[in-house]
Amino acid sequence: MKAKHFLYLIAIGLFVVSCENSKTGSNKLPVLGTVEEAQYQFVNQDSAEVSPKTFENKIYVTDFFFTTCPTICPTMKQQMLRVYEEFENNENVMLLSHTIDPQHDTVGVLRTYAEGLGIASDKWMMVTGDKKEIFDIAAKYMVSALEDESQPGGLVHSGAFVLIDQNKKIRGYYDGTKEMETNELIDDMKVLLNE
Amino acid sequence: MNKKTLTILGPALVGLVVVLILLYSTRATDQGAELYAVHCQSCHMENGQGLRGVIPPVAKADYLSIHRAELACLIRYGAENPMVVNGKTYQQAMPGNEQLTETDIANVLNYVLKSWGNEEKPLSLQEVQNQLEACD
Repeated sequence: MKAKHFLYLIAIGLFVVSCENSKTGSNKLPVLGTVEEAQYQFVNQDSAEVSPKTFENKIYVTDFFFTTCPTICPTMKQQMLRVYEEFENNENVMLLSHTIDPQHDTVGVLRTYAEGLGIASDKWMMVTGDKKEIFDIAAKYMVSALEDESQPGGLVHSGAFVLIDQNKKIRGYYDGTKEMETNELIDDMKVLLNE
Repeated sequence: MNKKTLTILGPALVGLVVVLILLYSTRATDQGAELYAVHCQSCHMENGQGLRGVIPPVAKADYLSIHRAELACLIRYGAENPMVVNGKTYQQAMPGNEQLTETDIANVLNYVLKSWGNEEKPLSLQEVQNQLEACD
């Protein structure tokens, strides 16, 4: 049900924006939602506090995963690595991966995972925190990160990458398990940086 | 049955048997690829490269020859402890695949042992069975 509503929202969003675009002819990404009001406080792989302030004046890409996930997560992380490498030296870009299994994915576990990937923690944050808070923020990003014990790994999630702009507006959804959609994300990030 | 039908049917039958044997033998390797796609690929990736620094590669992995005698057990029961592959240590635990039969394990292993530039000798079903009986 939720996923359906979510798709409607995207469809409406795309429609509205495509109308606007045809009027102005500008090269801008649609506004699909907002997380301006969202409040949260997590910790990253370095035990540093992460809150909305962390992303002030940055564009960022966010997703939800867990380190022991045997299904889509490794592919998502493989694709996110490509985004990381593309924008590694751009200080206006950040990446934010939330674990949806905070019980297992402690700061130490996330640090080991991040060190394995060889990523800089001020660029790509892997965060953990209160489980309810993580699922609440997931709902705000409109990514389904609902618990389903019947799935392999015990937790199921959407595999989406969400693109957020400097003003905390949601500007794009991409399937993080697909190379083509990640290419689209990288292109869109360049458009967003030039807006 | 006259001689004429025999000269036509004979080669046709031989041909059919050859086709069936070929189909059967390629099916065995295809099954390994299918099993890999379902049970291994999401972590070890389509090209066997794994995930940088987190999930070890199975392509061109020295682990395959060094730990050849433990491969069947690794697939069935997974691994909790860090693993060294091509000189690099990987911390991530590997989940087991206890639903796979001995034949499945032999097929998927033999697919890995000869894919992406791997040139390891295949494991016989008997070897796989022996390994599984001796798992810790």
